[in-house]
Amino acid sequence: MVEGSQLQLRDLQSAATSHRGDRVFTRTVAGAAFTSLAVLAGIALFLGFQAIPAFQTQGLSFITTTGWDINTNPPTVGIFGMLYGSVLLAFIGLVIAVPAAVLLAIFMVFLSPPRLSKILTNLIDLMAAIPSVILGLWAFYILNPTAEEWQVLLNKYLGWIPIFENTSGNFLGTPFIAGFVLAIMMIPIITAVTREVLSRTPPELVNASEALGCSLWTMLRYVALPYGRGGIVGGIMLGLGRALGETIAVFFVLKLVYETNWDKIIESGGGSVATLIVSRFGEVSGPSELQLLLAAGFFLFIMTLVVNVIANLIVSRTGRLQK
Amino acid sequence: MSTSTFDPAALEQLQQQKSGRPWRKKPTRFTASVALAVVIPALLVAALFLTSDIPVPILLVVIYLPLQLIASGIAAWATKGTRGIADSVIIVNAIGASLFSVVVLVSVIGSLVVRGLRALSPHFLFQNSVYISPSTPLDYGGIGHSLVGTLLIVFIASLISVPIGIATAVYITEVRGRAVPYVRFFVQAMSGVPSVVAGLFILTIVVATGAFNQSAFAGGLAYAILMLPTVARTAEEVLKLVPDDLRTGALALGSTRARTVLRVVIPAARTGIITAVILGVARVIGETAPLLLAAGNNDQTVVNPFGSPISSVPTYIFNNVALPYPDAVARAWGSALVLIILVAILFTLARVLGRGRVGR
Repeated sequence: MVEGSQLQLRDLQSAATSHRGDRVFTRTVAGAAFTSLAVLAGIALFLGFQAIPAFQTQGLSFITTTGWDINTNPPTVGIFGMLYGSVLLAFIGLVIAVPAAVLLAIFMVFLSPPRLSKILTNLIDLMAAIPSVILGLWAFYILNPTAEEWQVLLNKYLGWIPIFENTSGNFLGTPFIAGFVLAIMMIPIITAVTREVLSRTPPELVNASEALGCSLWTMLRYVALPYGRGGIVGGIMLGLGRALGETIAVFFVLKLVYETNWDKIIESGGGSVATLIVSRFGEVSGPSELQLLLAAGFFLFIMTLVVNVIANLIVSRTGRLQK
Repeated sequence: MSTSTFDPAALEQLQQQKSGRPWRKKPTRFTASVALAVVIPALLVAALFLTSDIPVPILLVVIYLPLQLIASGIAAWATKGTRGIADSVIIVNAIGASLFSVVVLVSVIGSLVVRGLRALSPHFLFQNSVYISPSTPLDYGGIGHSLVGTLLIVFIASLISVPIGIATAVYITEVRGRAVPYVRFFVQAMSGVPSVVAGLFILTIVVATGAFNQSAFAGGLAYAILMLPTVARTAEEVLKLVPDDLRTGALALGSTRARTVLRVVIPAARTGIITAVILGVARVIGETAPLLLAAGNNDQTVVNPFGSPISSVPTYIFNNVALPYPDAVARAWGSALVLIILVAILFTLARVLGRGRVGR
């Protein structure tokens, strides 16, 4: 029945295509459909083109060194610390967000009563809708004091672990706080995707495992999680893409320093490419510094594009496998 | 063996269990041990909180969580045996993760309401900030100029991205050309463009080339880049729900393909397409970074989309957050409250409209 009607539709369409107005229509629509490609190519070309002078003056050291000194001639600038900082913040965010989001999704799909899980779904949607500038405002005034207290305790009792070292005594503007804010932005994304794939676990598999006497843990371990693994990984990558490009919320809670903070996550100061762009843009000294910022934007674009493309490939491939 | 012995009590028990799932029935012992496992750690920690001065984070992480895990582990072991222990660990952590998210959300919304209400007043919504310095008391000035700016920018972004987004969706669902997988791939990839990169891109082609200033138009272009993928993907989902019978019917009556799409398919999906537009607007309305770069800032009310830099609600918040004046900070909280109310209204509209969209 369905196949029959589709065949008819295609026949009717091809019969109608001979009309001239239709060819114009089809071409217009097809042209519009490739706007997204045009924009992506435009971004890559324009920013890449602007990045050329930056590369000519800086050479490869633009992405292998760290520093931002525009008073020298030529300016000595390197964004390695910023690129690394973006990745570090996103990693801290993932360490917090992934367990929280996956457990939250497990709770919503397998544990909570349907009504509660509907309420939670709405709350998570609301969480995803909070603009990042508001999250930044909240983090600056509400999260900062609490996080400071937590970090002081971490340092006091676990300070012997290298990552919890803090020599400056300043516990604000740390990568940990920025990563925590990123985690809050990633939790709704990862939860939504994970809930979706977990709730699509075939009920006959869940029921069968229950009938075989599986406990919740065994069912998750051998049925639900392997079944949804691709989707969960894809959701994590989507969240990662969002975290790498996040600008404003990080701007408020991270103290930007032009040196590489490798692993001191509760030491004040860190880096982030997106935040670098916004914070330098306000006091940009001339066209040559603007070009350097555009070059930094180019690398941010490439980095997020790669992460997102991988994420979407993973998500779409699991979608196909599950059918 | 007396397999056929009739036992009325057993039959009654069976009949009682007939509805529902008998294996889901919780014995009293189970309920009691779960209740004990919840109450005992909570009471212990509450007592410690009142009597000692151990810091709250340590109390929660080092004392309460392990205690709760052990207590529920024992309860699970007592009712279900060893296999129950892993389950209890998952359940405790899952409830903990849910509580964590809810606490964060309540904290964000609660602080917005508590701190934002102080600044809210009729003149806060209508006045602009021309004669306002950060230290001016809250009796004067407002975000009228930013609201006008945000509306103008979002309107321009919609003018650009809605037709293109719908056309993209039409290409995927109606034209069904060979390039459909690629188009979808590019739309997906575009949805991952960081907002600050969209702002930089518009800055280079529009502002830096000298074609326009920082303006509502440039800001609208940057917003359009961020809005387009949301509109296209939602519109695609909606157009897919239009039954093929409508298309075949229109074509069979001699309608051209263009006419079929424009006069039959899109009107049939009208409410859904409005939902797509609303979701697109809600996606961008709080974005700050692109406007900082492409639209700039202004204390005056600007209605000319090309002439001069323009204020918007997100950039207004951005500029007031970290100022050392309590009233400026109160203005930031107030406008954040206005912004989140706008977003909430948009999402509620989308939900209400989205409910009746199938098969109309």
